[in-house]
Order: sequence, then C-alpha cells, then structure tokens
Amino acid sequence: MLLVVFIATVVIGLYMAWNIGANDAANSMATSYGSGALSLKQIIIIAGILEFAGATLFGSRVTNTIAKGIVPINLMDPSMVSIGALSAILAAGIWITIATYYHLPVSTTHSAVGAMVGFGLAAASKGLILLGDIQWAVMEKIVLSWIVSPLFGAMMSIVIFTMIRLTLIERVEDPIKLEKIFGFLQIGTASYVAFAHGSNDVANATGPIAAALGYLGQSTPMWVLMLGGLGIAVGIATWGYKVIETVGKKITELTPTRGFSAEFSAATTVIVASYLGMPISTTHTLVGSVIGVGLAGGLAAVNLNIIKRIIASWVLTVPIAAGLSIVIYNFLVVVL
Amino acid sequence: MKFIRSVTDVFGKSPFKKLHEHAELAGKAAKLLKEAVMAYTIEDFEKVNTLCKKIEELEYQADLVKGEIREHIPKSLMLPVDRHDLLSFLKPQDSISDACEHAAQILTFRKISNLPDVIKKDMECLVNNIIDAIDVYEGLVDQISELLLTSFSKKEVQESLEIVPRIENLEHQCDLIEKRLYKEIFNCDRIDPVDVLLLVSLIKEMGEIANNTARAADRFRIMILGK
Repeated sequence: MLLVVFIATVVIGLYMAWNIGANDAANSMATSYGSGALSLKQIIIIAGILEFAGATLFGSRVTNTIAKGIVPINLMDPSMVSIGALSAILAAGIWITIATYYHLPVSTTHSAVGAMVGFGLAAASKGLILLGDIQWAVMEKIVLSWIVSPLFGAMMSIVIFTMIRLTLIERVEDPIKLEKIFGFLQIGTASYVAFAHGSNDVANATGPIAAALGYLGQSTPMWVLMLGGLGIAVGIATWGYKVIETVGKKITELTPTRGFSAEFSAATTVIVASYLGMPISTTHTLVGSVIGVGLAGGLAAVNLNIIKRIIASWVLTVPIAAGLSIVIYNFLVVVL
Repeated sequence: MKFIRSVTDVFGKSPFKKLHEHAELAGKAAKLLKEAVMAYTIEDFEKVNTLCKKIEELEYQADLVKGEIREHIPKSLMLPVDRHDLLSFLKPQDSISDACEHAAQILTFRKISNLPDVIKKDMECLVNNIIDAIDVYEGLVDQISELLLTSFSKKEVQESLEIVPRIENLEHQCDLIEKRLYKEIFNCDRIDPVDVLLLVSLIKEMGEIANNTARAADRFRIMILGK
C-alpha cells in the first residue's frame, strides 16, 4: 500500500513539474521572446537544459525546506508522512489546475507551501504532532521572503536599468544598435533565469516527493531532483512553447535593455532565495522587476493593478491549498 | 488557449501609439482642408462638399481615438510621463481636427464667386503655412517612439525641444497672413457684406488650426520635460 501511495505522489509530482514548466518557466522565458532576443526554438532548448541543470544542481535546499522545513516529518510514522505528502501534492496540483483554467496569477510555490502547512495542520488535528511542532518560525521566514523578493527584484532592476540608461542609452549614438547588443546579452540572462527558476521552483514538485521518501538525512536524492527537472523540461517542450508565444506577443514593449534589467534582477533574487532555501515565486519576482524597470522610466505603460491581483491571489492560495490538503488527508486516512 | 496562467497584465496598454494615430488624423484633416480651400477658390463647390464630408469623418475618427486613449489611462497605469500632462496635450491636438472640420463646414455654407485674386492668393498662402506647421508638428509627435526607446534621454528630448520653436514661428507667420487677409477683406469694396462675414469666420477657424497646433506642440514640450 505504501508503494502505491508513493508512486501516486511521484506521478502527481511529475504533473506538478510539468505544470511548472508549461506555465511558470514559460512565463519567465517569454520576456526573451517578446524582445525578439531569441527564437522560440532557442528558448525551448535553453530553458529545457538550464531548468534541468538548476533543478538538479541547486534545487536541494528549497526541496529540503518544503519537504521537512515546515512539517517535522521525522516525528511522524513514515506511512502517515507518505499519505500527508500525497495529500499535499494532490492539493497543490488541483488548485494550480483550477487557477490555470481560470487564468489566475497564482504561484505554484504558494500552493505547495500552503498544501504542506495543510498536511501539518491535519497531522496536528489527529494528534500525530503538536500544533507547536510545525515550524512556524520557518513559515514566517517564507512568508516574509514572498514580500521581500518582488521588492528586492524591483529595487535591483531600478538600479540596473538606471545604470544602463545613464551610462549607455544617454551616451550612444544609435539606441537601436544598443538594443541589438543587449539582445545578445539576453541569451545570458535568459539562461540565468532558467537556471534560477529550476533551482527554486522544482521544489514545489520534488518537496512532497522527498517528504514521502521519509528521508531524514541532509541531502535529497539526486534522482528526485532530476525527475523534477525533467518534468519541467517536458512541460516547456510540450505546452510551454505555446505559453511563451502567447505571452511573448503581448510584451513586445520589453526591449532588450529592459528585458535584460528585469531578467537579471529577477534571476539574482531567485538564486539568492534558492541559496537560502526559501521557496519564492519566480513569476512574482519577475513582475516586481518589471515594475522596477517601469519606475526607472523604462516602460511606456505599467499596470499597477497587477499588484493587487497578485496579493489577492497569494492571500487566497495559502488557505485554499491548505484546506484542500486537510480534506484530502482526512479522506485518504479513512480510505487507506 | 485555455490552459495558461500568466502575469502579462503587468504590461498595460500603451497610449502612445494611439496618440500618434490621433496626430496623423489631424494632419490628414488639414491636408484635405487645403484641397477644399483650393477647390473653393476655383469655385468647384461640388468638390468642397465632398471634401467636407471626408473631413467630418476624420474628425469623428479622431474623437473616437481620443476617447479610447482617455479610457485606457486609469490612475493605476504607470506612465513615463505625467498623466495630466498627457491629457492636456491630447486636448489641443484634438482641437486641430475640430478646427479643420469647422473651417470646412463654413466653406459649404455659402458660395462666393469672383473672389478678388489678392484674397485668393493670401488664402492659399495661409493654408500652405498651416500645412507646413502641421507637417513639422507631425515630425515632433513622431519623436515619441524614439523618446520612449531612449527613456527620454537628454539628447532626444533636446532634439524634440528644438522642433517646437519652429512650429511656433510658423504659427506666427499664420497670424501675420491672417492680419493681412482681414485688412484686404474689410477694405475690398466689391465683396458682398455677407461674403465678408463668411470669409472672416473662415479665416478665424483656419487661424485656430495653427493656434491649436502650436498649443499642442507647447503641451508636448511640457509633457516631455515634466518627466
């Protein structure tokens, strides 16, 4: 029975990874397509390879946080942990599917974290752990990182774009030629974004799998991360390219100098978060960075209403994912 | 394209392309008005009527574009220029096509035959000057894309600022021609007094085209400097 639960967790984890590739990775990569810096084929290849590399080489810390940073799985019976992990990944997967269907700007990260909290609460209600055993201090840090990361991305892109503006745009003879040069540099930042994205967001799929393994040691098995990275790469190749095309066409205003500034800032923020083991939303960080470019006077029109929508979406996502997770957990405990 | 979750909404709808389109409509209306004035002086009143209808159509289109621009710049939209500056630039630009329409309509109210040559000549001169001013003005508005690309670099702003006095000068030339025309009209004994009334209102409206062009250029300057 445990094996069936585990296989189910892996399968849904793969679906989650596919979804991350199809939507989140694609959104991040679309900035390079919109500016015309890269062709669709180039983006898919770069994104596929570097998302995989980021996930495999740098994805363990965030995976670790989601797997056992919030819920103290080492205090529980392995079978209960397996059921909890399955509930969490199922809850996050269902919510993401609904949100995607209704085009809500929901973060997979917030769903995964919310779902793990739900698993913790369900376990506490069954008396398996104490409510105080849930790592609320870690949870506070995570929530704080959700607020800090877009702000950090914005501040950084203000500085970078202002620097580009003052030292290059203001001084060059031909601004169009400058944009072309930055188009080449964007190959670098696009790769950077893909690597950073893979390193952070893979955890939303691999975190519950790692938890289900009942693993207690220091590092996540490599094959779990590879599986997550593979899922993301397949997501980009099988569906993400459509998203890149659709999104890219709408953001042609993000010229290479602007795209470079936003991508570099977002990727750096995400990499720092991955290093600190903080599961943050790459897309929300990218939105913060784009707004930063706008604040630095680089964009013709930035819709600030998106900030309200994003805040609303994550205020909703955590309780919904948690609630779903609790319901599924209680159901599975009775059924299995 | 159902299964998609994206944050493209962060990119608002840029009003600048529409502003450009709006300026082009004013330019087209002014060029048609020139044809109408020329047709009027050779007493081809049929053509005047047709051109007037076309100008009315352009003015209506310009109003629609103006409405679209206004509708799409809520306060939550962050622009590289001040929102109020943009709106107060849009207004005189819209008045250019309004004045073109009024002038064209006046031409259809009454037929005047045997206009004195000197008045014909100066009317032609006035309308040519207006077209010159509008041409330069369109060049100024063309700068928007460059200004946006360089995020209003000092060099680009300077280049745009140099265009504004040229428009102001052409507007001044128009004033001088108008003054001359008024004198000629009021002192020409062989024109019917009702014709005088029509010509005076016509010249006043044509003057408004130039005035609004200069005003819009001035507002454009305020907008790009206000940044």
